[in-house]
Amino acid sequence: MYDILIKNGLVVDGSGAPGYLADVALKDGRIAGVGPDLAGEARRVIDAKGRVVAPGFIDPHTHFDVQLLWDGAAKPALEHGITSVVPGNCSLSLAPLRARDRATVVGMFQQIEEMPPEAFTQAFDWTWEDFAGYRAALEKNLAINVAPLVGHSVIRLWVMGAAAGQRAAQPEEISAMGDLLRECLEAGAVGLSTSFVDVDENGRPVPSRHATSEELDGLCAVLGEFGRMLQIVPEFYDVDITIARIDQLAELSLKHGIPTTLSPVFDSLATPDNAPRALARVAEQAARGARVWPQMQTRPIDISFSLLRPSLFFGRFPRWVRVLRLPLAERLAALTDPETVAKLVADTGPDGGDRYMGDLVVRGGDRAPAGIVGRTLGEIARERGEAPALALIKLSLEHGLDVAFLAANRGHDATDRIGPMLANPLVHIGASDGGAHLASFATYGDTGYLFSEYVRKSGALSLEAAVRKITADTAEIWGLKERGRLREGWAGDVVVFDPDTIARGEEHPVFDMPGDGMRYVRDAIGIDTVVVNGQVAWTAGAYTDAAAGAICALT
Amino acid sequence: MTQRQEAIVVAAEIAAGHDGEAELVVRVRHENGVVSSVVLDGETGFRLMGGPGGGGIEALVGQPWRRLLAETVLEGS
Repeated sequence: MYDILIKNGLVVDGSGAPGYLADVALKDGRIAGVGPDLAGEARRVIDAKGRVVAPGFIDPHTHFDVQLLWDGAAKPALEHGITSVVPGNCSLSLAPLRARDRATVVGMFQQIEEMPPEAFTQAFDWTWEDFAGYRAALEKNLAINVAPLVGHSVIRLWVMGAAAGQRAAQPEEISAMGDLLRECLEAGAVGLSTSFVDVDENGRPVPSRHATSEELDGLCAVLGEFGRMLQIVPEFYDVDITIARIDQLAELSLKHGIPTTLSPVFDSLATPDNAPRALARVAEQAARGARVWPQMQTRPIDISFSLLRPSLFFGRFPRWVRVLRLPLAERLAALTDPETVAKLVADTGPDGGDRYMGDLVVRGGDRAPAGIVGRTLGEIARERGEAPALALIKLSLEHGLDVAFLAANRGHDATDRIGPMLANPLVHIGASDGGAHLASFATYGDTGYLFSEYVRKSGALSLEAAVRKITADTAEIWGLKERGRLREGWAGDVVVFDPDTIARGEEHPVFDMPGDGMRYVRDAIGIDTVVVNGQVAWTAGAYTDAAAGAICALT
Repeated sequence: MTQRQEAIVVAAEIAAGHDGEAELVVRVRHENGVVSSVVLDGETGFRLMGGPGGGGIEALVGQPWRRLLAETVLEGS
């Protein structure tokens, strides 16, 4: 008897082959059969008529390291169809980590993830120092699969202590780091992450940025013993440096026989040559046999701001720049001075800022009253009988300036340019940053957006190609054993979704972090059921009690 | 060296950064004629705009790039 039989769905199996009507059977956590009219009884039958049945989606760039310790589903990632995540990106992981260094690493995580302090002091017990111990702590309550990276910065901290953030390593220290990395890989780590960009909470470079090329080469030699991944954050704000990093990754890939990936790579109409140039260099290196995977996100980039901090959003209005750069008390005085306000509004044009600011959205999660959250500034301004620029100032003043506004789709938003890039076989769809930037923007729903924007709206990818990109391709790139395809004997990770409606919901604030911390999330649209290792983890709009997630076995 | 041979800001605009912050993208024509883009974070961008141009991004256009840097960003670093 099967555990689950999913009947009558359009099976899109991850291979890229055309979908076909068939049933999918699961038993003992694995896929027990795929084919039309499968015979046999099942404890649970799911009717998937009119739905797509696909392998669970895999998110290769997340920061769920901390959240997974109290939320084994990495909510809301799982409800978007994600059944496997890769945490530990950008040089940061929670192991190996000596007790003495916890505060240092917590500071780095808070800088990146924007989690409240309670997330590290109340939500879990630090029961480990080594990687195997962290793995054991994770495995207690996983509902989602995890393929954890080891962070280069924490490896440096373990070996070098405080000097990790101050200097290059000595040869014996590099050797010790290699031994430690080897121990982590033997305990199941999927690879090593490093960063050339990130800073800690004090603005200082994270330890990995003090590494020499010899150090990175030594660590990649250890990765080569296992054929594991190197992930880097390149200097993405400068395409020439990014291209140099692509070349560096290519050399490391060829020398040590390892896959490498860089994230993020994103498109901007302000620098329209950058992404195409980076991808062209990737193609040149791929032709040499190097495995360098640029990760590109699907979602557009939004700008968010409040008047509590100056934002370059107002950069085209000199008077706004001058006022917003004033110390808070003087800024408040200027924003309450009728003459100054009149000039500020006039500067935005004869329409009172409607063209430039009218489509700003009040975000919530702050002191903005619920009645205006999610509405556009233009709409609110009309209701108040004010020009949009005046409404922005007055609304902010009425709530202590703690009103966040969102300028949606201001970068990486040219669908006609990005679609072909995402479809490029050399481009790895990823870079979601799931679990990070909690108080800045939602990092969930990129997979839904892939289907709504790039399959249904623009047609840049077929349904089958899109599924393959975030399932089989990802599993193959990262070496996740027997995941990413609907194939008999492989892991029972399945998502059932409506191809006509799958999308990401509107961004909204929730207060579900430890200490009632706020984060922005997006709900899933069009996802019926998510199965992880043969157990239904999410269905009919709700999570189940299933906790069948696992640390991913590797090829 | 004449003014024409200096590195000059030829365009500037606001763009969305990876982290959701507004950034300043400056396009500079260098002495050899090559035009390149420089992406600056919010704080650096503000400091740049507080320099000889005196305000918004449009005032940056035409400014000598090195003098701008020296009088704003580098001076304050």
